[in-house]
Amino acid sequence: MVVSDRLESRVISEISDSGDTVVIRVAGNFDFNVHRDFQRAYRNLAPPPKIFLVDLSATEHLDSAALGMLLLLRDYCVELEREGFRPEVELINANPHVSHILAVSNFDRIFSIR
Amino acid sequence: MAAFRVLIVESDTREAAELQQLIRSWEYTSATGSREPAEICLASSAAMALGAYDEFLPNLLIFGPVAAAQTANRNVRQLRQRGGIEPVPILCVQGAGVATQAPPIECDDILTKPYSPALVQLKLASIRRFCEFSRSLMAQRDRLRRHHADFLQEQANAREIFDNLGNESCLNDTPAIRYHLSPRAVLNGDLLVATHSPDGKLVLMLGDFAGHGLAAAVGAVPLTSIFYSMVPRGFSMTRVLREVNGKLFDILPRQMFCCLVMLEFDPRRKHLRIFNAGMPSPCLKRASGELVMLESRHLPLGVLPGDQIDRALVNQRVLPGDRLYLWSDGVHEARNGRGEHFGESRLLELLRMDGQEGPEIFDQILVAVSAHAAEQHDDLSLVELDLSDPVLSRREWSPVAPDGQRQGGRIGDWSISFRLSEQELRDADPLPYLLSVVGQMPGAARFHEDLATALGELFRNALEHGVLELDSSLKCTDEGFVRYYDLLAERRGALSGGWVSVSLSCSQHDQDGVLKIVVEDSGVGFPHVQEPKGVYAGRGLGLLQTVCDEVRYGPGSSRVEAVIRWGAEPASAEDIESKGLARAVQTPPVPV
Repeated sequence: MVVSDRLESRVISEISDSGDTVVIRVAGNFDFNVHRDFQRAYRNLAPPPKIFLVDLSATEHLDSAALGMLLLLRDYCVELEREGFRPEVELINANPHVSHILAVSNFDRIFSIR
Repeated sequence: MAAFRVLIVESDTREAAELQQLIRSWEYTSATGSREPAEICLASSAAMALGAYDEFLPNLLIFGPVAAAQTANRNVRQLRQRGGIEPVPILCVQGAGVATQAPPIECDDILTKPYSPALVQLKLASIRRFCEFSRSLMAQRDRLRRHHADFLQEQANAREIFDNLGNESCLNDTPAIRYHLSPRAVLNGDLLVATHSPDGKLVLMLGDFAGHGLAAAVGAVPLTSIFYSMVPRGFSMTRVLREVNGKLFDILPRQMFCCLVMLEFDPRRKHLRIFNAGMPSPCLKRASGELVMLESRHLPLGVLPGDQIDRALVNQRVLPGDRLYLWSDGVHEARNGRGEHFGESRLLELLRMDGQEGPEIFDQILVAVSAHAAEQHDDLSLVELDLSDPVLSRREWSPVAPDGQRQGGRIGDWSISFRLSEQELRDADPLPYLLSVVGQMPGAARFHEDLATALGELFRNALEHGVLELDSSLKCTDEGFVRYYDLLAERRGALSGGWVSVSLSCSQHDQDGVLKIVVEDSGVGFPHVQEPKGVYAGRGLGLLQTVCDEVRYGPGSSRVEAVIRWGAEPASAEDIESKGLARAVQTPPVPV
């Protein structure tokens, strides 16, 4: 595993050795304050991975700006499709509070949530 | 103007010359890299310095050794105040002979004699850096001030646009609707609109844009204008929501979307339809104390180009004493000092406790949330609808203006007919178009509402019972009621074959006239219905009879004919009232 990003960042991304999977972990409040770091975590990866795993295990709360950021990630993957392969986005390890927010927003219809 | 200006106050000319010499030997390097000596102004006393101040505008004041010893703190203070908010450092020179004498306390620093040129240069350089820093700070402050003023102006403009868009709102027309929107509602993205459909249903929408500020406000503009232009024309909720979703999807940036609840309450049929896309579940509070949560069944609008609005609509039967509460996530997310959210459970606890003595639950919720919230709570929206309040039915709270609103000109003699086949019945919403055509007729205001009601009933009967063969006896039970509307959506979506035809004919004489509506469908009809009872006759039929003067069923009742008459001006207001009452009591006591 290669650990990137600065230590103090609340967004940490890891690329698997095979390069297939990028895990993006957001700690604490997933809100507008992390949007730069979050974008940096998935943009300009060459080659793009097959799967973006958004690991919400350390996410305490998630607001509508975060939902918007997830939509941007999804949109980014749709754009990549034009260049060939469309990565999947999976949201994993959400705590009950965060999964409730995702469920209320019906985000399970457009993301796979585990 | 020289980049760095020093004002020297000294009465002794020799001391003044020495200081001047010292400063002149120091070369100021400007930000652009050019070197030039500081500009110097000499004043022999504090009073003269005051006089010269405004013209010279120094960056630094130096009191020479003699002046420093002679000048009172008061005068130094005066000079300092002349600088205004921009800090101008003041240095005092202490002569060698008076080293033990304390410098004036109003100064910032001292120079000591004999001068050490290196030390003086160092001090001047650091003061110059300080001055530049404070100057750039001031420039930033001014820029921020301008931006802030622009921002406030933009907010005021956005609010004004909003107020203008919402002028058809009926939120303030009745005590049956109570609401609280934060004062910054427009700019934090919360939005509340309500109006009536032509056949008297209350349609209300509470929305919450992801994102804040102007972007959210701009997104709310098309939403509001679609709502206020479509609902009063009689477009169905599905159509309005579809339009909203499509528009938001087209215009919003990808990370923005809108969570919203839209509801339609038919006060005459006691029927509530509700659509929730990503908002906290509204709560229907029954008189029995039961709480029914109406959870989100749809993605927020503006996320996907397509939608599944029909599948996400929830039907609820309204019982006497029912009240409905809606709120935005500002309630859930209000945090206390320990960072705990107010949350849904606290809110439901309050709703459960309602009914005991004390202030009304609506106020209690507001008080509890603001007591919980650590900081000033400003993005909270809360709505309470008293569904049992008879004034929610439009007719009763905004009677037709007596000043001839309904009189208008001649309506004329005409007829119009059209026929809808399966494709149209699957997804079209023909009534608004028809109503808007007929609404253009001069004088149509006389029967417009009655026509909307009658046509609505007849068309729905033809579609639901005739073409789709739905049995309204299903609606006798609570479960069946919901099942009925699910079946309706299901069968309508899968419709193959069938038609409905509608024809209107109007004939007018001098003062009176007749509007005849004939609705026919491809269904087999309900042969047993002769009386306004039995399976065919629901509340809808009663409604039909309250607005029509005659209702006749053709063979098999797949053809229904209704007549609306209007006569010469009624003799008096009592006449209208008694007529209205007479119509109202005709409503047969049959199930919905």
